Amino acid sequence: MHKDFKLGKEDIHILKGIDLDIEQGEMVALLGPSGSGKSTFLNVLGGLVPPTSGDIMIRDYRISDMTENELCLFRREHLGFIFQSYNLISTMTAMENVALALTFAGVKKEIRQQRAQEALEVVGLVDRMGHKPSELSGGQQQRVSIARALVNHPEIILADEPTGNLDSKTSADIMEMITRLNREEKQTFVIVTHDPDTTKYCTKVIHMCDGLIEAEVNQ
Amino acid sequence: MKFRTILTIIGVVIGTASIIVMVSIGNGAQKSITDELSGIGSVTTLQVYQDLSSMGMTAMGGGKTDDKAILNDDAIKDLKKIDGVVAVTPVVNLSGGEIEVDREQYGVSLMGVDYAVLEDMRYVTTSGKKPGANDENSVILGKDVLTSFTYTGASTQLEASEVKPEDLIGQNITMTIKRTNANGEEEIKTQKLKVTGVLEATGGNEDYSIIADYHLVTDLNEWQTGRKANVKKQGYSQALVTVEDSSVVNDVTSEVEAMKFTVFSMQQILDSMGSVFQMLQILLGGIGGVALLVACIGIVNTMTMSIYERTKEIGIMKVIGASISDIRNMFIAESTMIGLIGGLVGIVISLVLSVLINLIAGLFIGGEGGVTISYITPGLVVFALFFSALVGLLSGVRPAIKAANLSSLDAIRSE
Ligand SMILES: Nc1ncnc2c1ncn2[C@@H]1O[C@H](COP(=O)(O)OP(=O)(O)OP(=O)(O)O)[C@@H](O)[C@H]1O
Ligand SMILES: [Mg+2]
Repeated sequence: MHKDFKLGKEDIHILKGIDLDIEQGEMVALLGPSGSGKSTFLNVLGGLVPPTSGDIMIRDYRISDMTENELCLFRREHLGFIFQSYNLISTMTAMENVALALTFAGVKKEIRQQRAQEALEVVGLVDRMGHKPSELSGGQQQRVSIARALVNHPEIILADEPTGNLDSKTSADIMEMITRLNREEKQTFVIVTHDPDTTKYCTKVIHMCDGLIEAEVNQ
Repeated sequence: MKFRTILTIIGVVIGTASIIVMVSIGNGAQKSITDELSGIGSVTTLQVYQDLSSMGMTAMGGGKTDDKAILNDDAIKDLKKIDGVVAVTPVVNLSGGEIEVDREQYGVSLMGVDYAVLEDMRYVTTSGKKPGANDENSVILGKDVLTSFTYTGASTQLEASEVKPEDLIGQNITMTIKRTNANGEEEIKTQKLKVTGVLEATGGNEDYSIIADYHLVTDLNEWQTGRKANVKKQGYSQALVTVEDSSVVNDVTSEVEAMKFTVFSMQQILDSMGSVFQMLQILLGGIGGVALLVACIGIVNTMTMSIYERTKEIGIMKVIGASISDIRNMFIAESTMIGLIGGLVGIVISLVLSVLINLIAGLFIGGEGGVTISYITPGLVVFALFFSALVGLLSGVRPAIKAANLSSLDAIRSE
């Protein structure tokens, strides 16, 4: 798979031929220097940007051929996203942020609240569900965003430096929680990280450099 | 709610209220005039005239005249036969009479109608009663008969006499008419008239006339002109046709027209005035519409700003599974709400304004039972609500589509 970005009139190659299989239930770490294309790869995987050439297949779905609307519907059912900067909606409470993903899926209000509460329970934040993001610590906000990614029970969760803004103690908590989810719910995780500590939780570590896969290590 | 949104809603409020108030003033003008016209009961009376073109032909003496077109006694009988007609009377007028009441002279004209059908006509007496079929010398006074024009400097004023027409009921009044004979000498004839009643206002000639029997008026006319009237050949100048109710007016009108007479009814005036008022309403509504157009620009601006501010939020929603239509509908719903809330508040405000306008107008114009300058119909309220919501919706469409088509990744990265 290739990905170019247009910069002015020039096309710059960012992803220069990536060929990768990920099995269901794997927990994959994407490691590599800054600018090597990790985030870009993750975004292409999640259908947020289309690849310039090549295919992305998730189960039998050819992501790379889907229209914008099909991608939205696909993400709604099969994918969850976790970002380094949490990306919570600041005017909504933790509960509302988590429930929002279900709103678009057309889930009824009572069921929405019940499931949002369950998801917040999983991340240990039920007692804070009425709080706005600004009233939560970074670690708590990230846990809300994880709860949001979980609430639809997606098969795949894509996380871009989920522990990037957190101290090592909180990072360890988050990673342990992710590992538990991976084991218990058989969800597939692809985690971009800078932190070598994070990789020890993963079943597979992929080293990227300059838009290519340098090494693939199974643990 | 954001201050900006409140300001935008106020814009819609002003727009909606100005449309409603403007149109309500058009409505009010129409209502007060049509009420005035139809309230006087003459809607069910048709005025029939000899067709002007056929009269011209007789005058020129040439060509064959269709005898149907002459408004003579045969024609009166034919008019009577039309379905829905209650009474038909010829009208014979006499002008130049004078009466003296309380040592004051009043110029009067007589309007002669057929006393045999007077009972069936829509003339209502406010006091006294109508003369019977054989009371040839009895008359009814129009309510303004004793009102004379006085010239005070530059302006003309209507001045009511101290004596009211009602005071004359049961009395005999003497009317004098003049003529100049063949030798150029002035001759005077007097005629005693017994007043039996006073006519309710009709808004027509009757108000300034004395209603009398047409036989009497014809006789006086013949004396005044010195010629025998040839009704059979020349017809009456006018006839009044009284119909059952307003629903048959149009049918009777077309039947009379088919007889080659010219018909004139209040209904026709009301109909043609309807279209004038419709124009007036469109014009006034258009003026109000300008305010709503400005409000519309306000909504577009607010929505665009709001989308600009919430770009990141839109990006997040798209990443967690909102579809293009979800985002689009969300913003359209928001702008429709702005329109709807603005419309509702605008309606409430214009209802209050309407009452105030009528109150204040009442203080200046006076008149019993209040004044209707502004009249808000339920239809106008429904239309205004629907229209303001529509304006909100349409204003939101473009910004909403713009929002929905934002690239989720770019949006989520924006700050
Ligand atoms: N939208 C874009 N337009 C142009 N160039 C882009 C765009 N997005 C990313 N790039 C470029 O692609 C390259 C890879 O970026 P990417 O964000 O994938 O790196 P990364 O591996 O995630 O780095 P980091 O570890 O710092 O997050 C960078 O050189 C970046 O400048
Ligand atoms: Mg990155």
